[in-house]
Formats: sequence, C-alpha cells, structure tokens
Amino acid sequence: MIELTINGKTDKFPEGKTLLECIERTGIKLPTLCYHKGLTPYGACRLCLVEIAQNNRTTIQSSCTYPATDKLVVNTDTEKVIKTRKVIIEVLLARCPDSKAIQKIAEEHGIKETRFKKRNEDCFLCGLCVRMCQERMGVSAVNFVNRGSERKVSPPFDKTSDVCQTCGACAFICPTERIKLEEVSKNKAVPILHEYNEGLIERPVAFIPYPQAVPNKATIDERYCVHMLKDACGVCKEFCEAEAIDYEQKEKKIELNVGAVILSPGFEIFDAKIKEELGYGYYPNVVTSLEFERILSASGPFAGKVLRPSDKTEPKRIGFIQCVGSRDCERDYCSSVCCMYATKEAIIAKEHVGEDLECDIFFMDMRAFSKGFDEYYQRAKELGVDYIRCRPPTVKEIPETRNIQIEYLADDDMKASREYDLVVLSVGLQPPKSINEISEKFGIELNEFNFCKTSPFKPVESNRKGIYVSGPFTEPKDIPETIMQASGASSKVLSLLKDVKGSLIVPKEYPPEMDVEGQEPRIGVFVCHCGTNIAGVVNVPDVVEYAKTLPNVVYAENNLYTCSNDTQEIIKEKIKEHELNRVVVASCTPRTHEPLFRNTVQEAGLNPYLFEMANIRDQCSWVHMAEPEKASEKSKDLVRMAVAKARLLEPLQKRSVPIIKSALVIGGGFSGMTAALELAAQGFDVHLVEKEKDLGGNLRRVHYLLNGGNPQEELKKIIEQIEKNEKIHLYTEAKIENIEGSIGNFKTTISRKGKSTEFEHGVVIVATGAQEYKPKEYLYGQDDKVITQIELEKRLSKSSEWASVRNRIPKNIVMIQCVGSRDEERPYCSRICCAEAVKNALRIKEISPKTNLYVLFRDIRTYGFRESYYTKARQQNVVFMRYDEDRKPEVSKNGNGLQVEVFDQTLKMPIEISADLVVLSAGIVADEGNETIAKFLKVPLNKEGFFLEAHMKLRPVDFATDGVYLCGLAHSAKAADESIIQAQAAASRATTVLSQDSIELEANISHVIDESCDGCAYCVDPCPYQAITLIEYMKEGVVKKTVDVDETACKGCGCCMATCPKKGIFVKGFKLEQIGAQVNAALEVQ
Amino acid sequence: MHTEGMTKMESDPTLLAEVRKYGQFDPNACFQCGSCTVICNLANESVSFPRRIMRYIMFGLRKLTLSSLEPWLCYYCGDCSTRCPRETEPGEAMMTLRRYLTAKYDWTGISALLYKSKLLQIGAILASAVFMIALIVLFHGPFITDRVELNTFAPAHLVHQFDLTVAALVMIILFSNVFRMYWFTMHQSDKVNPLAVIRGVIKNGLGFTMHDGRKVKIPLRLYITQAWQLILHAATQKKFLSCNNKSRWIKHWLIVVGYVIMFSLVVVFLEWFQTDNIYPIYHPQRWVGYFATIVLVYFTAEILMGRIRKREEIHRFSDLTDWMFPGLLLLMTLSGIAVHIFRYLGFPLATYYIYSFHLIVAFSWLVIIVPFGKWTHLLYRSLAVYFQAVKEKAIERATEEQIPEEGVLDHAA
Repeated sequence: MIELTINGKTDKFPEGKTLLECIERTGIKLPTLCYHKGLTPYGACRLCLVEIAQNNRTTIQSSCTYPATDKLVVNTDTEKVIKTRKVIIEVLLARCPDSKAIQKIAEEHGIKETRFKKRNEDCFLCGLCVRMCQERMGVSAVNFVNRGSERKVSPPFDKTSDVCQTCGACAFICPTERIKLEEVSKNKAVPILHEYNEGLIERPVAFIPYPQAVPNKATIDERYCVHMLKDACGVCKEFCEAEAIDYEQKEKKIELNVGAVILSPGFEIFDAKIKEELGYGYYPNVVTSLEFERILSASGPFAGKVLRPSDKTEPKRIGFIQCVGSRDCERDYCSSVCCMYATKEAIIAKEHVGEDLECDIFFMDMRAFSKGFDEYYQRAKELGVDYIRCRPPTVKEIPETRNIQIEYLADDDMKASREYDLVVLSVGLQPPKSINEISEKFGIELNEFNFCKTSPFKPVESNRKGIYVSGPFTEPKDIPETIMQASGASSKVLSLLKDVKGSLIVPKEYPPEMDVEGQEPRIGVFVCHCGTNIAGVVNVPDVVEYAKTLPNVVYAENNLYTCSNDTQEIIKEKIKEHELNRVVVASCTPRTHEPLFRNTVQEAGLNPYLFEMANIRDQCSWVHMAEPEKASEKSKDLVRMAVAKARLLEPLQKRSVPIIKSALVIGGGFSGMTAALELAAQGFDVHLVEKEKDLGGNLRRVHYLLNGGNPQEELKKIIEQIEKNEKIHLYTEAKIENIEGSIGNFKTTISRKGKSTEFEHGVVIVATGAQEYKPKEYLYGQDDKVITQIELEKRLSKSSEWASVRNRIPKNIVMIQCVGSRDEERPYCSRICCAEAVKNALRIKEISPKTNLYVLFRDIRTYGFRESYYTKARQQNVVFMRYDEDRKPEVSKNGNGLQVEVFDQTLKMPIEISADLVVLSAGIVADEGNETIAKFLKVPLNKEGFFLEAHMKLRPVDFATDGVYLCGLAHSAKAADESIIQAQAAASRATTVLSQDSIELEANISHVIDESCDGCAYCVDPCPYQAITLIEYMKEGVVKKTVDVDETACKGCGCCMATCPKKGIFVKGFKLEQIGAQVNAALEVQ
Repeated sequence: MHTEGMTKMESDPTLLAEVRKYGQFDPNACFQCGSCTVICNLANESVSFPRRIMRYIMFGLRKLTLSSLEPWLCYYCGDCSTRCPRETEPGEAMMTLRRYLTAKYDWTGISALLYKSKLLQIGAILASAVFMIALIVLFHGPFITDRVELNTFAPAHLVHQFDLTVAALVMIILFSNVFRMYWFTMHQSDKVNPLAVIRGVIKNGLGFTMHDGRKVKIPLRLYITQAWQLILHAATQKKFLSCNNKSRWIKHWLIVVGYVIMFSLVVVFLEWFQTDNIYPIYHPQRWVGYFATIVLVYFTAEILMGRIRKREEIHRFSDLTDWMFPGLLLLMTLSGIAVHIFRYLGFPLATYYIYSFHLIVAFSWLVIIVPFGKWTHLLYRSLAVYFQAVKEKAIERATEEQIPEEGVLDHAA
C-alpha cells in the first residue's frame, strides 16, 4: 500500500496504479478523452492533468500516465490546473468542434467558444480505436499512419481491412464518430436486432432484454461476443464493478422431480412475410401489430413516440388489416384477439399522436365477444376509429412518399382506395414453432390446427395424465381466458398433489423491525419515470429536486421503473445508506403497487406502514396529458402532501384470524357443480346451494355441442359425483336468507321448505348463472313458428321427433342473431349465440340436407376453433346475410308461413325470404336474484346485472372483496368449456385462502377510542360493510355504551370516522392529524 | 324499416343449385370479404364484381342475376381465384354464370340443354354432322379425278347460298336472343311476352338503370351516341388490356381477327375465295387466307394445350364447351388448310373428301356452337360493354344535370 495526499486528503491506495486510477477511487471525476479503463494509458489528450508537488516544486502532469508512488501530494483543482485544462479544452474544441464528447466537457467547464482558429478536423488522434483494436481485439485493423501534421488513423493503404472482424469496437469507442465501420471492414456489418423491440432497433451484445425483465440481469449474446468467439476483448469484465461477468458460465441441466406438469408454452405470431401480397418485409411502412405495439410502448424503440419506420416521422393515417394469417384455408380458425388489440392500438395511437390521427380498421367481422368488449368497440367508433368491412387482398407502396395505398370495397360495394403513412397487419396467433417437439417430448396429442388437443369437458387436460395445459397453447385466447385457464390447470394440479401440498414452501422471513419511535422523520422520496408514461408529461427531475427541498426529506431520486426488481434493491440500499425511516414513492396507483413497496420497505427492516404513495401517473400524467407544466406542478403538490403525511406515519401491526376451511358455492349449475367438485377433490368441505329442485342449470337444455361430447351424459355423471361426494353438502330448493362475515369467517343462513339452516365457511364462490332472453320482438310468443335456439335445440335432440322423422324439419328456416343483444338496452354481446346458430344449422343440415337455412347476423363471432364450423356451415350452403342494427329484419305472417324481410347493406335493398320457421338467437340476460346475493356479499354488479370482477383482464374470477370468487354465466355469457375453466379457476383462487390456517388482516382499519366514544351509534348505519355494532358494558359500575369494529369485515373506508362527532373512531393510517397535514400541505398552509 | 316502395328482391334458395348445373360454382365457404372485387382490374367505381354477383347467387336473387351484365364484363384473368382466401374460384364462377346467362337469353332452350348435358352436346354435333353428310351425299357434283376441280364437286355458288341460308337462320335466333338480353338487362324484367314488352316500353321507355335506389331512364340518344363503344370494343376487346396478363389480349384479339377474316371469306366472299384457280403467292386471296389460318391454328392449339396442362389459374377447370369451341375451330381450320394443300398438290379425291369433312365441321360449328354455344360470348360481351357504358352515361347525366323530378321514376317498381 502507498499513501497519497489528494486535494489535501491523505489516503491509502494499492500499489501499481496510475494517479488517475487512484484519484477516481476517491470519487473525484477528472475529464478524459483518450483514457479508457480497459486500455493502456496513452496520455494523448492531456485533459486529466493534475498538479504534483514533490521536493518543494510543483509540476503539471497527465494523471493517466503518471504512476502513483508513495507520499505524492496531488491537487486536481488548483487555479493553475483549471486554467491549463481550460486551455487544452479550447485547443481540442478548435480541432474537432463537432465532437459531442468535447462539447460536453467544454460545457461542464463553462466554455462556450474556443479562442483558437477552428480546424474542423474529425479526429483527436486519441488512439482509442487503435489501442482497442490492437490490445483488446488483437487485430490491428486500424493504426496510425504518416507523421506530423499528416498523421491519421486508417486501415493499411487506405483500403478496407482484410483482418478486421467487423466487431465495431473502434467506431463505438470513437469520441468524434470519425470511424465508420464500412470504411474499415471488408465485410458488411450485420446489425444485431433488438428482439424485444421486434427488431425495430439494434441492441448491444451485452444487454438486458427489456426494462422489466425477470430476472433483471444483463446477459451476453454468445453468438456475437468477441471474447466468447475469439478469446479477445473482455472489456466488459474490466468495467463491471460488481465483478458479475463470468465468461465461463455454461448452460446447466436441472433435473426436477415433479408430480404434475402444466404446459403453457404460449403462441407465436403468424409470419406476415408468407402473405407477400401485403408487403411486409418489402415495404418499410408495413408493420405487424406486435411491432406497432412496441412502437406505442413507452419502453419501445422510439420511447413511446409513434413514428413510422421508413423516415421516423409521425403518421397521420394508419390502416389496420385484420385476419392476417387467420381465417384462411390453411388456418381455418379465428385468432380471437386481433379485433380487440387493433381497436386498442388504434385508440392508443390516437391518444399518443392526437385526435387528428386517422385510424381505419379493415375487418370482416368485428369479434368483440368478451365482457365489455362491445362497449369498447363502440367507444372506438365514437373516438373516430373507422371500421371498413373489407379484406384488402394487396397493398401498394407509393415510391415517392413510401406511403401505402390500400384498395377496398366501400359501403356502396364499389371500389375505393385510401393512402396510409403506416399500415399495421393484425397478425394471427399460431402454435409455437417447437410444438411438434413439445408434443413428442411430453407425449401429448395435437389437434387439426396443430394446437394442443383438449376435450370439451376437460379443457385444461392433455391426453396424458398429469400433464395439464393452459393459455393460447390450446386455442388462441385473450388475457382473462388465459388467466382463468392457468388457474384452472393449477386447480387440477392442486387436487392431484393434495397430499404433498405446501411441503416445499419456505416461509418468507423479514429482518427484525427497526424501532422508529421518537426518531425525527428521515424521508426518502422515489419518483418514477415509468418510461414516458409519467416522464413524457411530468418533469420528473424537477419533481425530484423539489422533493429534496421539503422538510425531513433526506434523500430523493428518480427511477426509470420504480417497480422493477433492481429499483427495489436500490430503495432498500438507500434506506440503509441514509437511515430513512419513512419512504414516499411517487408513481402509479396504490391499488396495484402499494403492496410491492410495502414489502420492499419491510425487507429493509421498516414497518410496512411507514410508506406513503403519491399517484402522479393516474392523477397527473394521464389526466393532464395535454398540460405538462400543470401536471408537473400538481405532481409536486401530491409529493408535498405525501411527504406531509409521511412525517406523521406510525408503525401499524396486522392481526390475523383463523380460516374456516370450507366453501359456499352459490348455484348448482354446471359451473357451481364443477367448482364444488374441484374444491372437494382438494379436500375441502363445500356447501352447494341450488334454488331449484334439480341440479344442472342451463346445461340441462344443452343436448349436443359444436365440438363433440355428450352434455347430458356428462351432466348425469357430474350430478352423480356431487351426490355421492362426502365433502359436498348439497342443499337443493334452498334460498339464501343471509350471508354475514368476511374472508375466512362467513356465516350463511339458508331456508329449505320453511326450515332454516346455518353454516360457517371461509370463502364463497358465486355461480348463480344466467338466463336466455325472452324475446319480445319478431312475433315471438304470437306465432308458434317463431322459436328460440334453445327451443330449436330441444326439437333437434336425439330423442325428439325431428331427429327420427326426416320430413318434419321445415323446408325454409331463418335464424336471426343478436336478439336482445348488442342493442341499446343490452349493449353487450352474448358471445355464444353465433356458435349456437352454427351448431344448430349444421345439425339441421345433417338430418335434412335439403332444408334451406338462412342466418341473419350482424357480425359472425365464431372465435377460436369455432370458425371452422362456421366455414363448414357455409360450405353446406347455409346462407349468411348481414343486417345492420339500424335496419333490423322484419318478420310477418304470410298465409300459413312467415315472411322475413332483411335489408342487405351491400346491395342496399330489402330481400324477402319466405320461412316456415324463424329461430331467434336470444341473448343471455343476468339472473334477477344477483342483486340480493350481491348485497349479501357486498360485491358489485355491472349495469347489465352481471357480477363485476376485480379486474376485467387481470383478475377475472376474483372480486374486489376478498374471499369471494366468481364463475360461469353469472360473470358473463360463455360456452360450456369456458364455464368449466372459470369454475376450476374460481376453485383454484378459493384454495389460496382455504390452504392457509389463518389470514392476515389489513392494518388500515377502524379503531375505536373508547374514552371518546359515547355510543351515539351515528357510525353504525353508514358502514357499508356492516362492520360496526353498538355494545354496552359495565365500566366502573355504570353502563358504558360504545361501538365494536369487526376487524375482518372492516375495509377501512372511513365512513365511520367521517360521521363521528366525538373523534371517537378513526382509521389507522388515516388519522385526522395525518389527513389534516395532507390538506394543509395541499393548501400550502404552514 | 323504411322499405315501402323500394324494390324488394325475393330470395330463391334453389338458384345456386340451378346455376351449378352449368359448371363449377362453389361458394365454398365464401365469407364475402371482397378480396376478389378489390383485386379485379376491371371492377371500378361504377361496376363491382365478382363478389356482388356471387352474392346474388348465394342469396338466390334470381331477378338481379338475370339482369346483371357483370359476368360479361369479366375477361377471366384468374386473379380473383388466386387471391381468394377461401379458394372459392370466383373466376370460374363467372364463367359458369356466362353459360347460365347464355342459356337464359336463348329462347329456344337449346343452349340450356346443351350446357347441362355433355351427351346432348356431343349428340347435337353428331346429328348436325350426319345431316351435312346426307346433304353432301345427295347434292355433291361429279368427282373429277384427273385434276382438282373443287368447284365442280361443290360449286361455290351453291355452297354460298347454303351458307347464307343457314347464316340467316342463325342470325334470327341470335338477334332474338340479343333482344332478350337487352330486355333482361336494360328493363330488368324477366318477362318477354309481347304484352309485357309493350307495357315495359310504355312504363320505362327504352330501359333504365338503378342509381341510389332510384330508376334512371335511358333515352334513345344515349344508345346512339354510345354506339361507337359497341364497335370499338367488339373490334379491339380493349378492356382485356386491363388484365395483368397482356399477352392474353393479343392472342384473343388475333383469334377474333383471324376468325372474322375467315368467316367473311367463307360466308360473304366464298365465291372469290373458293376457286379452282391457284393464285400466285403475292395475291391477297392467298396471304389473307394464310394469315387468318395461321393465327387460328396457332392460338387455338395454344388454348387447347393450356387447358390440357392446367398450369394457369384460368385453365384449372374446363367444361366440355371450353373444349368444343377451340377444338372445332382448330379442326375446321386444319381441314381448310388440308383442302388447300391437297388442291395445291393436285390430289383430287383427297381434296374432295377433306373438303366434305371441312364442310361437316363448319356446319356443326355454324348451327351448334355459333347460336347456342360459346361463340355467343362474342356478341354478348361486346353488347354488355356497350350497355354498361350506356348505363354509366345515364347515371353520369342524371347526377350531373340533376334531371328534373319527372325524369326520375318513383320508387314503385
């Protein structure tokens, strides 16, 4: 070790280092240009000069080349050093005025202009490229040539080099962008495309796949790494201070013994290059929907700016072409998600670019079949997204503008054409490329479309026992369906492995909690960029600087993604480093992210309630998108309020209550029964309550399925299983009188034939089902030749007379779709009617091929593999005629038969059909009893009367209320296999509660201050959760009235606190003083 | 729905089955995506096919089908079939519809019978051949065997008179069918009895077209001023040039030119053409004949080869009528050439026999293929282009001039 005195501070340093290395260790930053940590020092730029005092004299030396020896006294900031350095900067700036590197250094030193004559060269002769190529790559493809003023960097003989390995290090390291790889190398450099950004931009060889990657660790692409390929370079290892680079890492084979396998290998998008006529791969401004998704993304190639690839300009018109790689002869299925993602992308693009952006979507049938989708589609139309019903066969590029022209058939059936700056191909979903390998390895069968084969009543099971499947691997599907199927598969595994459940769980341990009692608040503020989601509007650095000025804030910083793994580590470090005892995160909504940050502070040894959040995304960058300055000001206000409250935060403790390990399933339909059987198979007791005499619900009226299987047989089997299962307590003809309590501890009262029964349970699954709409239109009920699909299905069932006597089937049958669906009263799609109509039409054609069938529809929504049956129906000459909502068909009596008039939108004329039978595809309507159940369970219904889940996409079977789950038609219209999946998913979600012995209760709940409460009971009625009861007890000989809070029921909403005249009840974490401080901060009252 | 007063179309579900008797027509799961029409170079802002007409057939709209000109406006490049995502072959469907319409235009019903039955078609050709053989046997002149005297064996003036008589009969049939085509398409009516025609003329004048759900009458003036279109398109078939494959136009055009030359020579100028004088090589009689026969042989042979190979989209399906037309034409030309060669070589008997064969083929052609077979497309297609031009002009005039209320008929059909 040697001793150095740097700027008056003496310290010990290892031997054999240069002065610059030692100086950098102290944290002092010196400007450098020719210095590189991985290369031998060269001393060319002289920017790193320092003053060295030795033997009573001082000299100016470049620190990068000066060896550090014992007892040296070094100064980096004397007047002489700074003055000399400034002169050198001016000299360098005069040599290469366009170099960004020297410009930056000059700016840091307050130099605006050079006093020397500008020489406008493009090379400092710093030698970085020469040294890099020679020392690190061992190639020497470039070197210095000539002498004196002629000296320059060049490959030999000014020709491109033969030995160059085209690694690009020289160009990368050059501070003036002088080195062009194409001038150095004989070979053409092949860009490494950024996979996550769909190849729209390049990426380095060492890279982190994407900002929220798990794990968020860098990796080296061994296909391109010079070190891995040629044992040269190795620069990254020298740079990584954590010494994390390990070139020796090898692929590891890990053997696991498992009891079951869930296969979710996902899907791949259709390769749009196959459809040459659509120009993908030829025309730069034709992109796939996934590429466009990246273009729209804040973490995407253009940082959330909507730019087109050819010239990086903002498009004014975007055209979307649907069904690319779906619904054709080779892929006779619908990819189910493209209609909605195109709609979403169009809306988001309009949000990003502005209202003037024109978005046209070329489609055939708008398949907005899931819950809430049709409303979204209507909203897109209101926002000005233009839907054009035509499938354009080709696109053309206009060479001058590189715009794309699309010819199509307009509303009047005549050809028209439009020009777009950007065209997005909505590519379909395909099975993964490795599907055959997967199928072979796991011994599972594939179906005709090469997806994994499942059967209608076993939708999460492969043909091999113990191998379960989920996601688009089995059929193209959207997020909620994927989540449900994944939960369903895990439910199956849970019952298979119930005996060993929990044996591998290691409980999470937190460090002991720091005692912050009596400490002065030390607050750390972390402000999130969220890509450009926040930073695109809010001036985040400004907010950080502002936060630093607030009292008690000892630390503030900004993060690209505060929720990412690495930022959690940073927060923990900073808590330790700055001894923080309160943490404020200014980012998105506490609804989704508070638990994460609480966990982080707890991991750092703080009580999780010493955390506060400011929602500057939803409340600032989102709602004030058009007013960035005001949004930034408001963000500061919110941070100030959060800090004000944080100052008064107190540690809170969670309480836990035991869980009753049984479930209530409401509804004995197919979904309810499936959920009950799943839970019973996992070893839990189930109370199954059905209001009718018979089990089975709507499935009783389903006689056959589109994709095979015998529903009635299945129903019989499942009812038998229910009846003989000891774990299932069945109550038929039962009415629920009351449900009280909350997660873990519910008490339900039911009445059966006048007798009432009571039982306790830990969770509830709502499976109340739904009904077929009773049509009021189209002469239904007035003419017996007008029936519904379910009535038709009954006539077509195996045992019916139609099936046995051929000529009973009428000659002309007209089906009318969307009866009671997608109208003003019920604006939603009933999802199953299209497939039902196709199913019944095919059945009729099977029994009586001569029967003429018409289906009058608005959009045929045979999503997924149902499409192939729609194809089959058309091949069998079932006539599909489209009508518009504004011009619905008319049914009138015509002698003995019926006359149906439909206005054809393409021909613009009414078509008359004489019909012997009219079949109405009546929609699905919510059960009237839902309202009562919703009240008992304190869960919401949507405006159509269906139960409303916690999150339409991400939590499709949960309620916002814990311990209550949802499945089947009570959620929304769905097919039998989808009901099974959701029922299994609900059971799986319920198990997450039932598997635990006790449940931790939220600490932010009401607390009574007995002394202040005089028992006025003002708070009892306003409580929406019925958590408060009035009690009396004897205190010092007198009756004391007060209230008691049921801690499991209380949600901490604060209604009680707001009504209390005596400050006798408050919500922990929302004390009057805390809220008061926030209000004062908001109003900037001192 | 406010459809009172609008023309309502009845749906007849049997239409598809009927059309299918005329050849390949497979909507094979057509989902009306419109690709075929967008890709079609001949479809434009005022005329839309093939989807529209496919829709007529699938929906059973008999009256609209009968009144449509679209099948004739298609020159069958096959692009629609290549681009169809459901492989429905709209190009071939249009071909079938042309047969269907030809049969509907033909009041004798013979076209329909021939198209629907291969047996009848071959039978009819054979019957006409037998008839011709009988005529030759009965009426031929003396065999002169020491030298070739064709005009003695079959005197040109007699053959010519016979030609003209048959041609006249064929013309009567053709013109009556043309009138039916006009009536179906320009009056959009399926009734052609005299009473209906009188009523139709009183009501709609010389015909009408629909625009924005309203009738637009077509005045005589337009028929006259647009007549040049008929001549232009018949002579050049220039619409064919819009198709991507331009070489098909030149082939087609040359066949037509060759055919028209040959037809004029043997029907109109037979007495000049069929002579026992062997003219010198530079004489127009010889090179006109050579030119016509060479293009006919070359291109009919090419068509037949194409149909045998089935490499191109348009040759994937071949009806018997598609073979009959080029086949007979080739046979007729080849036998004509053989007559010329034998006469040139001075083989009298061979000349007489081959000439008789030539006459037999020509007669079958004239009485079967021309009035009832594929030949008719020559006529109907040119007319369709003309009628379409007239209709477009009428609509253009109606929109431009904002013709007064009384000019536009009320919605009542």
